[in-house]
Amino acid sequence: MEQRSDIDLVEAVCQGQRSAYAVLVRRYYSQVFLVCLGVVGNVHDAEDVAQDTMVKGLERIRQLRDPDQFGHWIVKIARNLSINCLRRRAAAERLVGQRRDEPLAESTAADDLHRAVARLPRDLRLPLVMYYFDGRSVKSVAQTLDISTSGVYLKLRMALRELHDILTAQGETP
Amino acid sequence: MNQACTNMQNAIADHVLGVLSEEQTQALRSHLAGCAGCAEYLRQLEDHSKALIACGARVEADMAARCEKAIEALGDVAPVRVPRIVPLLGRLVRTAVAAVLILGAGIVIGRFTTPRAVDAEQLRADVQASVLASLKPAVLESVLAQVDQRLEASHTQMVTDITEQTHRDLRVFANELLSGTQTLVDRRFTEVVQLIEAGRLTDRRQVAKALDQIKTQTGIGLLRLAAWTEETPQALQN
Ligand SMILES: [Zn+2]
Repeated sequence: MEQRSDIDLVEAVCQGQRSAYAVLVRRYYSQVFLVCLGVVGNVHDAEDVAQDTMVKGLERIRQLRDPDQFGHWIVKIARNLSINCLRRRAAAERLVGQRRDEPLAESTAADDLHRAVARLPRDLRLPLVMYYFDGRSVKSVAQTLDISTSGVYLKLRMALRELHDILTAQGETP
Repeated sequence: MNQACTNMQNAIADHVLGVLSEEQTQALRSHLAGCAGCAEYLRQLEDHSKALIACGARVEADMAARCEKAIEALGDVAPVRVPRIVPLLGRLVRTAVAAVLILGAGIVIGRFTTPRAVDAEQLRADVQASVLASLKPAVLESVLAQVDQRLEASHTQMVTDITEQTHRDLRVFANELLSGTQTLVDRRFTEVVQLIEAGRLTDRRQVAKALDQIKTQTGIGLLRLAAWTEETPQALQN
């Protein structure tokens, strides 16, 4: 089956071809979702934000100047919406006076690992999630996040060490 | 339990990530042979790494279903039709544009209906002076002049005219503004809004009266304008 280019698809969407947007969503959903998950730290919110991202992407597609950059553009929308989601959650938590430590993924037990990942600082969690949840390609993480591969390695190293510290601390204070 | 050596932790993490050279790996191996703390640290980091991969696989397993759900959720969302220029500007900018227009219109009406037009003229001059100093002067002056003209021409015509005219003017206005940076534009408009607020305080009665006139005579047009700018100016709400 021939692979339609992003440019083709974006132009088709602008001309009202809805099915073309579904192709774009299928092409980029995973990347978008992982960026959302990496920022917001739990599957439930990440699903909502990823869905929202795709809606915004369709609504604003005519503002996309370079159709070849659709992937970059949609990931950027995902990041912005995820950060907004985090801010809203932080504000809500301040209001209620407590934080929810939701597990990163649905699991039978509230897994320590999931909670520890959710506790990582956002700038470490995002590369860690993208790396481990998506084929462990530093190059692709670097491209998506627009940083150097050595920069990604540094973040991953810090993330692993920090994760270990959090898990150790969790183990000591049950 | 033995602690991992602080100066080895980075190398151990890098080893887990598979970025150590052959030489570095050898050096680490010989250290690990004699250091239980570091060997344990490596084992734990490797465990975390494996757990993360497993966690990723679980997340990945539901990806296709999630994606289809997102496609379904698109419903009848469609690309926004006309590339609208003004909504790209910040809310503050749009409010300020509405405020400037209303103030401009208010002062002109004030000139017709009150014997003491001097204060309003002064206020307008103040606003304009600041606007001229900080914004693209020609554009703003033309916006104000257009409002004036419409008001002077006919009050009855204004209901429809003001909406159409300001719509066009604002497009030009917005185009001009877009050539500058957004932060700059926002900052300058903050100044304008502050100036307008200050102006209202110095000649509150005059402006209030003028706004009252606008409300009764041109209410529909301005409300439409306000709706279009997505922000109802406070003057129209009280
Ligand atoms: Zn050691």
